[in-house]
Parts: sequence; structure tokens; C-alpha cells
Amino acid sequence: MASNESKERAYRKLESSSLLQQTMFRYMLEAQAASEEGKLAWVTSGFPVEIPLAMNLGVSYPEQYTAVVGSQKVGPEVCGFAEELGYSQELCSYARAGIGSTDRPDDSPLGGLPEPQVLLACNNICGTVLRWYEAVSKLTGAPVFLLDTPPVQRRQPSHHREYVRTGLEELIDFLGEEFDTSLEEDKLQEVASNSTKAIDLWTKSLEACKHKPSPLNCADRFLAMAPVVSMRGKEHILEYYEALLNEVEGRIQQGMGAIRDEKIRLLWDNIPPWFSIYKFFNGLAKRGVVFPADTYTHAWTGSLEGEDILNRMVDIYSNVYLNRGLRAKVDKMAGLIEEYHLDGFVMFSVRSCKRYSLGQLVSKDLVTERTGVPGVVIEGDMVDSRLFNEAQIETRIDALIEMIE
Amino acid sequence: MREKVGIGIDVGSTTTKGVVINSAGQILASSIRPTGASANDAAKAVLDEIEEAHGEATEQPVVSTGYGRKLISIADREVTEITCHSLGVHHIFPDVQLVIDVGGQDSKAIRVGSEGRPTDFELNDKCSAGTGRFLEVMARVLDVPIEGLGPLALQSQNPCSISSTCTVFAESEVISQISSGESPEDIAAGIHQSMAGKIASMSKRVGIAAPVVATGGVALNQAFVEYLGKSLGEDISVPQEAQFTGALGAALLSIQ
Repeated sequence: MASNESKERAYRKLESSSLLQQTMFRYMLEAQAASEEGKLAWVTSGFPVEIPLAMNLGVSYPEQYTAVVGSQKVGPEVCGFAEELGYSQELCSYARAGIGSTDRPDDSPLGGLPEPQVLLACNNICGTVLRWYEAVSKLTGAPVFLLDTPPVQRRQPSHHREYVRTGLEELIDFLGEEFDTSLEEDKLQEVASNSTKAIDLWTKSLEACKHKPSPLNCADRFLAMAPVVSMRGKEHILEYYEALLNEVEGRIQQGMGAIRDEKIRLLWDNIPPWFSIYKFFNGLAKRGVVFPADTYTHAWTGSLEGEDILNRMVDIYSNVYLNRGLRAKVDKMAGLIEEYHLDGFVMFSVRSCKRYSLGQLVSKDLVTERTGVPGVVIEGDMVDSRLFNEAQIETRIDALIEMIE
Repeated sequence: MREKVGIGIDVGSTTTKGVVINSAGQILASSIRPTGASANDAAKAVLDEIEEAHGEATEQPVVSTGYGRKLISIADREVTEITCHSLGVHHIFPDVQLVIDVGGQDSKAIRVGSEGRPTDFELNDKCSAGTGRFLEVMARVLDVPIEGLGPLALQSQNPCSISSTCTVFAESEVISQISSGESPEDIAAGIHQSMAGKIASMSKRVGIAAPVVATGGVALNQAFVEYLGKSLGEDISVPQEAQFTGALGAALLSIQ
């Protein structure tokens, strides 16, 4: 219905989103079933999930769940449950919403996450996850396993790699003892291969956004990444990523962008404000602003295939975006701006996420110096909408657009 | 033939300003009034006043700016105060490199590029420290009218140290300074020094380059400008039209 499209919304909905919904529904059902069988692990977003999956455990992602809390606009209430327990408003809102919903699942969206039997935290994304999971452990009785991945500044030293590898071996022992099972090499190969295929398809969809007009906008990617975050390793998600890539390539062939009238291309840095994700990005789409790239959804990359999968895991999971120094972040942003032909960048300083937001004022200047394009820092939060001041943010972004125009 | 004019309305959090300019960019009429509860009513009243002062109703499109720029019905186009202040000050001081605008509820530092366009900017965070509101609260604590706070500070030889940059905590701090016998002059000077320090550090984030021009209602406070100059290590110019540079920038865009 191309002729009607110009009268329609500035933002084009993806047809593959119904398959995405079905995929996520399956994720929830599988987690529920695993919990009932006594085999559910809660895991952090950057955890080497291929190991618990290969050991036949189900998984739930509290970060994905708390993003849902945010998108359902009940962040302040659910964070409030944790605050009533004595947690500070300064604590990460994912952690607050996670602890709050564990304490009061019946008052939380979807009745909270299914009950876990183990809690698997990897501190490659931040140190708060360990304390968060310890708080959940007190509430649920499930034991915590920490995979410690020290930050990587430049090249990762060999003793550092050995240390992380030992952590992975300890993880296998821990899960083996908890669930009276063992890890089979064939199964790990299969799961790792599924992860790699999903990440490969996902990366192709991301890279397709180098085209003008960009076939995907920021909100599209933040929703479409859900399976690669929470179900990588599962074969059935490949169907979704094939459908997404197909749709993306179709849009490129037809010269159709994610937004109706693309004028300005920007980079997004950090987690989005989940409670306002459509309003925020679609509002800018009406003014011809599209975000063909962001630092967040590009974080799940890299192949796990090879002779020694544990070594590949050490490489991939030690070197995630948030586990590297400021120099790597600046390189990544400048690289995305150049490769995706972007006109400027928006850095969301998330009050909750110190690990992601630290250094943004400095990196803003460095990125502008390197690329010559202007940027702006806006402040708010990903789940706690009390910390998001729309009028102030609008003025900053309007001024950035005026500078580019 | 009627002369072509430009009209800009700056709807700030505390006051609404309007100017009419001719094609040479000279201000023909201006008006300022409290914004009050309705940004729209204030903007309409200011438009009536400048049209009356100018002597004739105009057909020229109205460009609005300021926090209330999207709230008013009489505007044909809205542009952020960052772009408008930059253009307005550049019109008066063509060499300006850095504009520091301190209004009722926000403060901003703007690096000005060629043709008066902003190249980088910083705004205060979500708090009233470093804004006119901070001075209003402090004037009330010291029991002096807001216009009297700057002159009082200028009498001080030995400013108090006000360590808190939060308006609420600084208020408690000032009350304890009063009860410990510090003089109102020294306290007033400490208040200005603290605020100037906060704005100077925000300005340093966009890079200090002379000439520096201060605008907004707070730029009319001589004590503040002196302390800001000391904090930045630069002389600071204040245009006569310090409160009208946003409206002037909007009017320049209206006539283009």
C-alpha cells in the first residue's frame, strides 16, 4: 500500500514483529517449564549462556524482564518495592526492579520471572549484578555463581585469559554438582554453533543499516535484539533472524527506510529509556531523524566456533563493549559514525548505569574531535521514569538537530 | 512601503521577552513581563506590547524560543534558545566565542561558530543550582530584595565559603552561617562565588575562548559577573540587551 504510506505514520512497523512476539512467548513458556522441573538459571546479559544451555538448563534474563517492567511504565512502582526494602534510589534501576519484582512478583508485570534454581552472574557488564543476584539469592534461596572477567584495557594478557578460562571450568563443575549432570562436548558444539549463526544473521541486519535510507531504526533494533540476548544458542530463533534479515533486505531493494522521510542520521549510545522508547524515537522520526546505529545492540557479536570453544568464550565474553576501556568505546563510536555515515550522536547518560555512562563527557569531545560531527549528552534513566525530564531532553536534542541542519 | 521587520518572542521560565527588529537588525521595540502561569497569555501580551510600541501590527512570522517555545499559539516557528542566544549575541558582538546565559531556571554555555551558529553547548543538570532561582532563594534567606543581593555581595572583603552547590542544602548552610555570626555581605559574596564556580566548570566543558559574553537576567547582577570572570580568568562583556538576546536571535531568524 505504498500510495497510502505517505499519509501514514512517519515510522514503519516491521512485519516480522509478530514472529518476534511468538519467539519471546516461547522463551517465557520454556523458562516457566524449566523452573517447574527445577532447572532454571537466571543469567546476566553478557553471561556465556552456551554452557548452562548445553547442560540442559532453562534460562531467564532479569535484565530483559526489567526492560519489560520499564516498557510497561511501572518502573517507579516496581523499583519502589526494592526501595521499601531499604535499597537506595541511586541503585541501578534494573537491580531495583529485579529485586522489587522478586520480592513482590504478584504485584509485578507477568507475575515476575519464574523462580530460579541458580543465579549466574558475569561482571563483564558491571559489578552491580553480583550484589543484585546476592539480594535475589537471599529472597529465593538460589545460590549465586560469579564468573569474574577483569576489565580489558588493551591486549588481554595470557594469565588473564587463563583466569577467565578457569572460571568457565568452575562454572561447569558448579552446574554439574547443582544439577547432577555433566557437559557433553557435542552438545556444547551444537549450542555454540546456534549462537554463532544467530549472531551472524543479527550482525547482517545491523550492517544493512549502512544503507541510506536505513532499513531499521533504534527502537526496531532494541526490540529485535531480545532473542539474541536471551535465547542465543537455541536453534529456533534462527527462523526469526532469517525473517528479519529478509525483511531488511526487502526494504533496501525497495529503497524503503525505517522512517518515512530520512534527513538526519544519528548514533545512539547506551540503553534506551524503555518507558518512552516508541514516543522518543518515533517523535524524532516525524522530524526525519533516524538512528541507523547504536553502541548497545552492536554488543552481541563474534563467532564462538572453533576447535576450543571455551577459549573462544574467553575471547568473546571478556571483550564485550562494557568490559573495555574508554579508548575502545571511543574507537567503537567513531567507527560506527564513519561506517554508517552518521551526522551526529546522542549519548544517553543513564543515572542507573554508571558502568555505561562513566566517561561520556570526555568521550563526547573525543568522538567529535575524531569524526567532526557534533554530539549531545542527555540525562535520564532506562526504567525509572522519575529521572527522565522530557522538556530538558527535547531542548538538547532540538539544539543538536539545529546544529546539524 | 512598510519596512520589513522581524519578531522574536523568548518564553523563559521566569520572564517572557519580545522584540521587533528592522532589516538592519536594530531593535525597534521590546517588552518583558513575568511569564506567570500561562506562557501563551504572556507571549500574547508581549506581542501586543511590542506591536503597540512599534506603532503598527505586522504580518511578519513570529519565531518563538525559550522553554515555553512550543506552548504558545502565536508562533509560526520555534527554535531552541541555544541557537537563538548564539545568533542574538553574535549580532551584537560579532567576535563572540563563548556565550554564558543564566536565566531563571537554567544556565547554558554555548560555543559560537561562524555566522553565529552554535557549535557546542552545555546546559545545567536537573537542578536549580547555578540558576536565577538559586539567587532568589538565597535573597529570601538573607531577607534582601533580589535586586539588592548583588550590591550587598560587592561590599564584601572576605567572602564566606559556601560548599554546597545544591540550592536546598546551600539554604541550610547559609542559615547556619547567619546563626554563626557571618556578615550578610560575606554570605552574599560566598553565594555568588559558589554559583559562579559551578557555571564556570560547566562552561569549561565546552572550552573557554574569549571574547566571553554573559546574558540572561542574572548577567545584570554585577557581583555574579565579577566572580564568573575571576573563575574563568577572562573579562566578560554584558550587552545592554542582556535579557533580550534570545528574542533578538529569534527575530533575526524571523526576518531571514
